[in-house]
Amino acid sequence: MPVNNKEAVNGKDAVNGKTDGTRASILLVDDEQMVVTSIQAFLELDGHFDVFGFTDPPEALRFAQSQRVDVAICDYRMPVLNGLQLLRQIKEAQPEAARILLTSHADARSAIDAINQVGLFQYLEKPWDNEQLLLVIQSGVERSRLLRQLREQVGELDSAYNVIKSAQSRLIRAFL
Amino acid sequence: MSTPNYGMRNPESELEQMAAIGQLGVAIAHEINSPVGSLLSNNMVLRRCVDELEKLLADPQTESLERAARLLETCRRLTDVDRIACERIQILIRGMKRFSRVDEGAPRLTDINRELRETLSLAACQFQSRIQCDLQLGELPRLPVYPQRLNQVFLNLLVNSAQAIESAGKISVTTEQEGDAVHIRFADNGKGMTPEQKARVFEAGFTTKDPGEGTGLGLSISRRIVEDEHGGSIYFESEAGVGTTFHIRLPLAGAPQDASKQ
Repeated sequence: MPVNNKEAVNGKDAVNGKTDGTRASILLVDDEQMVVTSIQAFLELDGHFDVFGFTDPPEALRFAQSQRVDVAICDYRMPVLNGLQLLRQIKEAQPEAARILLTSHADARSAIDAINQVGLFQYLEKPWDNEQLLLVIQSGVERSRLLRQLREQVGELDSAYNVIKSAQSRLIRAFL
Repeated sequence: MSTPNYGMRNPESELEQMAAIGQLGVAIAHEINSPVGSLLSNNMVLRRCVDELEKLLADPQTESLERAARLLETCRRLTDVDRIACERIQILIRGMKRFSRVDEGAPRLTDINRELRETLSLAACQFQSRIQCDLQLGELPRLPVYPQRLNQVFLNLLVNSAQAIESAGKISVTTEQEGDAVHIRFADNGKGMTPEQKARVFEAGFTTKDPGEGTGLGLSISRRIVEDEHGGSIYFESEAGVGTTFHIRLPLAGAPQDASKQ
């Protein structure tokens, strides 16, 4: 029986720090509540994701600056911070997060700007297709986790290298 | 009154209206994408909820009933979203109909406030969140006018205001009855006009907009519609860097019977 007892938390809970470290964390930002509600309901149905939905871009940014985000999905045209400005700041806070722009205002110019300015992972148009959205999110999550692992492993290599270097210095001092 | 034909067959009037509606069409297509996206997504999720509920009810246990309750809550939330999405689409379509409707040969008793509200909801597609719209509509009697022609004027003024606001700003629309006339104001806090622009603003073909944004005919046609077809007046005040306010006064007596039929 497909039962999932794990309730995904909402944006408010997330700000309060109740994040689940194992499930993928999806940040969803659109100034239209209907879009946030619809996508959140879809992504939470199978309980594979923690979805943090926001209609206020600055609030979403504060979340991204304080919590782990695997995938950030943003609308383009929003007040105060547009999708590109928001994704650029999310990139600074969470370089490994896969960044997705979901927009009605699709044109070649904004797509090129998005790819160049914020290292966009995917560019999706409204009305979106749920299956396509899910595939993009899944590959975004995978990419983000691989990048994190890579960063951790590079960090481990760095510290191992530093240990070897300091041992080498000690050896040189001892024998020369 | 020797009024030229300013009806729907006037080619320059038609051109301006086509340009305005063409731009609106693009904005409306964008505007409809969000509610359509929500409706399609919700339809899929609701279908899955129903399928799952069917299975859960076939084997009711405490755990499955808890899950069923959560699914029902999701269904309820999404049907609320669906209603809002449909209303959004309905408003847009109703607005478009107002512009595609062929005006009657004679003036029609019209609720000016209602026309303004619907034209604004349509025009708002073009500026959405960057511009705050403030409507203060006083109590007005119904006026015998050509509503489609007046909507063309309202749309033109709203689009001009929106284009005068470079980033974020505000447009205020107010109506009130003043003596034997209805006074409508469109005020924006956009970039305003220079003295040279003010002197030429009603001139046919004068525009400060980029190619494709306007034909420069909008205000000259608006003046004809208000003054010649409705016996009213249109004037403005503007200051560079502060904003512009357009005023329209329409007589309570309404449009002359033959103004658009000559």
